[in-house]
Amino acid sequence: MTPLSFRFAARELRGGVRGFRIFLACLALGVAAIAAAGSTAEAFRRGLASQASEILGGDLALSVRQRNFNPAEQAILGHAGQVSYAVASMAMAQSPAGERRLIELRGVNDAYPLAGKVTLKGASSLQAAIAPVRGVAGAVVEQPLLDKLHMQVGDQFLAGNLPLVVRGVLLEEPDRLSRGFALGPRVITSLAAVQRGGFMAPGLPFGVTARVELPAGTPLAAAKADLHRRMGGLVRIRDREDAAPGIHRLIDQLEYFLGFIGLASLVAGGLGVFGAVSAYLEVRKPVIATLKALGAEGQLVRDIYLIQIGLLAALGVAIGLAIGAAAPLAMGELIKNNLPIPALFAVYPGPLAKAAAFGLLSAAAFSLAPLGRARSTPPASLFRSDLSGTFKIGPEIVGAVLAAVGLAAMAVATAPTPLAAAIMIAGVAVSFGLLWALGWGSAVLAGKARTRARGPLRIGLANLAGPHSAARTASPAIGLGVALLAAVVLIQSALLNQVAEVAPRTAPALVFTDIPGDRPAEFDAAVRRGFGAPLTSKTYLREPFVTGRITKVRGQPVDTQKIARSDRWAYDSDISMSAIGPEPEGAGIENGRWWPANYAGPAQVAIDVDVARGEQIKVGDQITLSVLGNDIDAKVAVLRKVDFGGFGASFPLVITPSAMAGANLRQVAIAKASKAQEAAVIRELGHSFPTVNVISVREQLEAATDLFDRLALAVRGAAAVAALAGLLVLTGAIAARARARTREAAILKVLGASRGQILGAYVLEYGAVGVIAGAAGVALGYAAAWPVVVKVFHAKWSMDWAGVAALVAAAALVAGIGGLLAAFQALSKRPAPALRAE
Amino acid sequence: MTETDASDPLVLERVSLTLPSAAGPVDILRGLDVTVGRGERVALVGPSGSGKSSLIAVAAGLERPTGGRVLLFGKDMAGLDEDGRARLRRGRVSLVFQSFHLLPNMTAEENVAAPLEIARTPGATETAKAWLERVGLSARGRHYPHQLSGGEQQRVALARALASRPALLFADEPTGNLDAANAAHVAELMFDLVAETGAALVLVTHDEALARRAGRTVRLRDGRVAQESTTTA
Repeated sequence: MTPLSFRFAARELRGGVRGFRIFLACLALGVAAIAAAGSTAEAFRRGLASQASEILGGDLALSVRQRNFNPAEQAILGHAGQVSYAVASMAMAQSPAGERRLIELRGVNDAYPLAGKVTLKGASSLQAAIAPVRGVAGAVVEQPLLDKLHMQVGDQFLAGNLPLVVRGVLLEEPDRLSRGFALGPRVITSLAAVQRGGFMAPGLPFGVTARVELPAGTPLAAAKADLHRRMGGLVRIRDREDAAPGIHRLIDQLEYFLGFIGLASLVAGGLGVFGAVSAYLEVRKPVIATLKALGAEGQLVRDIYLIQIGLLAALGVAIGLAIGAAAPLAMGELIKNNLPIPALFAVYPGPLAKAAAFGLLSAAAFSLAPLGRARSTPPASLFRSDLSGTFKIGPEIVGAVLAAVGLAAMAVATAPTPLAAAIMIAGVAVSFGLLWALGWGSAVLAGKARTRARGPLRIGLANLAGPHSAARTASPAIGLGVALLAAVVLIQSALLNQVAEVAPRTAPALVFTDIPGDRPAEFDAAVRRGFGAPLTSKTYLREPFVTGRITKVRGQPVDTQKIARSDRWAYDSDISMSAIGPEPEGAGIENGRWWPANYAGPAQVAIDVDVARGEQIKVGDQITLSVLGNDIDAKVAVLRKVDFGGFGASFPLVITPSAMAGANLRQVAIAKASKAQEAAVIRELGHSFPTVNVISVREQLEAATDLFDRLALAVRGAAAVAALAGLLVLTGAIAARARARTREAAILKVLGASRGQILGAYVLEYGAVGVIAGAAGVALGYAAAWPVVVKVFHAKWSMDWAGVAALVAAAALVAGIGGLLAAFQALSKRPAPALRAE
Repeated sequence: MTETDASDPLVLERVSLTLPSAAGPVDILRGLDVTVGRGERVALVGPSGSGKSSLIAVAAGLERPTGGRVLLFGKDMAGLDEDGRARLRRGRVSLVFQSFHLLPNMTAEENVAAPLEIARTPGATETAKAWLERVGLSARGRHYPHQLSGGEQQRVALARALASRPALLFADEPTGNLDAANAAHVAELMFDLVAETGAALVLVTHDEALARRAGRTVRLRDGRVAQESTTTA
């Protein structure tokens, strides 16, 4: 580029940027979406980092399951720093009136919390609230428990067999984010009270966490490594820098999802960019030809327009960055008191730089090809206006392809899961190509069909077939937006259907845990009384339950670092086990043979294939399990696919009963029940088995449905950004043809066409574009949604016909309205001046 | 037809031009032979569609002929790509159009300076100012084309065409869009300036009186030379 090209470009820009509004809007929209997603995610990450110690509850957190820390371990921890202990368990809370509900019971010692503070209503401090008064321990509880059991502060209730008094309402715990999902309202009391209530007996599913505050200046990594070495592999250790890994993953995924929507908007809006540059160069054709007639070479002319488009792209990106940076700030200000996660909203250069790079690459990918026409426009077009520059393989096309590849590569490289991102990007590229081809095909078909049509239909079809057909420009962009929306709508509706309709039919309604191992028949009788009906294998299943960890495979100790991250869950903590003799119904055996029902030989196990995958365990392999403090060597007899959502023995590990002989294992049971039976059995067990926990799957599904419903609007709103890009492209296509339309309408009027006929022709043309784009978008959305629902979520596919119809209708309606506006605009001009302008 | 000389600015040998169209190929020029000597003034006349403007497009290297040879300053343009033809034109060949084709976002002065700047000629702005004065528009140098009348725009176009002192000027109906008074003024100016610079002139016109001023008239019909005549001033 020479100073001359810059000088001429500056002169050309004196004409203003009127024709570039859509260009700017398309770029700004996508960049703003990506920048806002990145800035919001960064705000959450910084927020989490700033409160890492509070979220973890200290500098380090060490957890053990189904046992307490022994005195030796407590001594080691005591030397490391200040320590708080907390036990977590499930329990059934029972009001004085006999109403019962599952709660998450937490017992904490005097040192809790080491970092942050517990916020309460009705009590001055946690330690004062949980201190025993007249022999009864105090507790703070979440409001939903008080609502459900119709209690208030000051009331006494039972947690299992443990009497507690409500001393305050629990509003906030500093370390809640690091503890994850709760099955019921949370209740905090003293650790001593939980121990006294029998919740820490061997075999019960409780966990104890020690949180350590290191002396100032202690290196975190060294302290963690030291404790790891001294405490042994069965203690899970986390540090403050990994306080809430689940939340971090969620933020990463959310950022990528929103960023992907922004990227799709950039691709859909890319057609707007392409169209705007093409239209601009078409208008400037006489100038380009004149410059060439004056002796300018093609490269100089190309550079003059490249500089202009580059400056405009920079402006569009800057507008997008400003919106993308400001939107999270404004949102943060509005909802700062209702955020579930700490956030530090500010202007972060990193996410903005990433969004800018995406925007500039997209601008290059979509504007370089038409810019090539500036180089190839022949000067003879001064004499023959039908002559235009052609798309030839040259530096511009090569540059456009490189920019598109760079865009895709950057999207994949910055994704939390590159493979999924690559599939998504490839999906967008293929969809875009298909939609483009469909647009061209539709134009060709319209050209053939017009010979048989008459009147407005013929005008509409002729315009659809013409060189500036909206079928070729707007329909791929609208189609891509609709495809994204359709995919989101179809995935959501299928999953919602799974949670609200399918799961209640196939999954158990109730899960009973902590059934005493020595009273199984008595328990069955209590359930039968509650249900008021005999129990069958189709409605009730009870099995022993214990947790254990795979410590060795084929004689080698398990090294979790060598296991793929996605499979590590089965090896880095205890997993559920049962001891079952006869082969369960629907065992899902994929390899091996189940042992005889009365088998009494050396231990054998059946393992879920997803668990086996992490260590490539095969039938015949020898593994070592750590169960209740003992090591058990067992041979793998069966690999099976466990249906965790179904009604059956859903244990990832099943061992031969003889291996657990004498252990008196607690039991779990699952049951199908009506809502009335559910309430009755919960009441019944309150008398005979108060320590048995009853998890209402129905309640959990209802909560999930509720969450889905609340998320649905937000997710669809985000996806609608891509549809907005499609709308912008449609607007651009209409605007680019406004002058020609005015002239066309004037000629038609002169030829005797009525306003109604002209309106009809334009609405038909654009309505057809909407229907084509909507139907193709829905088909592509279906193709994207089906594998996600069936293969990723393992849910049953269901089709949301109403949603699909609404999307196609909306696309047709919006495009039809676009046509109507184009017609009104054309008809608003008097024919004489319009024809004179010709 | 005059005798060919190596120093002739323009030689067309059996030039033909066929363009594609939806209804099939259309023959625009059919084996034309025309030579324009140094400083010579040639008028191309003929009915609409006879190929006058196409002849200029081919002769100036804006369009490739489909047959025959075009020699510009002795150089066969067949071997040159579009950029090569642009370089060959630069500083030696200029064009004036019926619809002016001024660059709309450039002032009158910038328009005149543009070809000089493209040819990297030093002092482009000063030369442009001088030429605007020469065509009587020194007060309108800062005006944009849409702020000028048709006659003024064509005078700017004339200044732009002659500022580089070309050896050959093509004028495609330069007075076709002007009223009688402006047409006469522009024609007068064009012939004066061509005489002053010594440029050869190829003038397309429907105006027989203007054609007679050229001295030599080539009459085209259906893409062929139908008649050639010379008049003495």
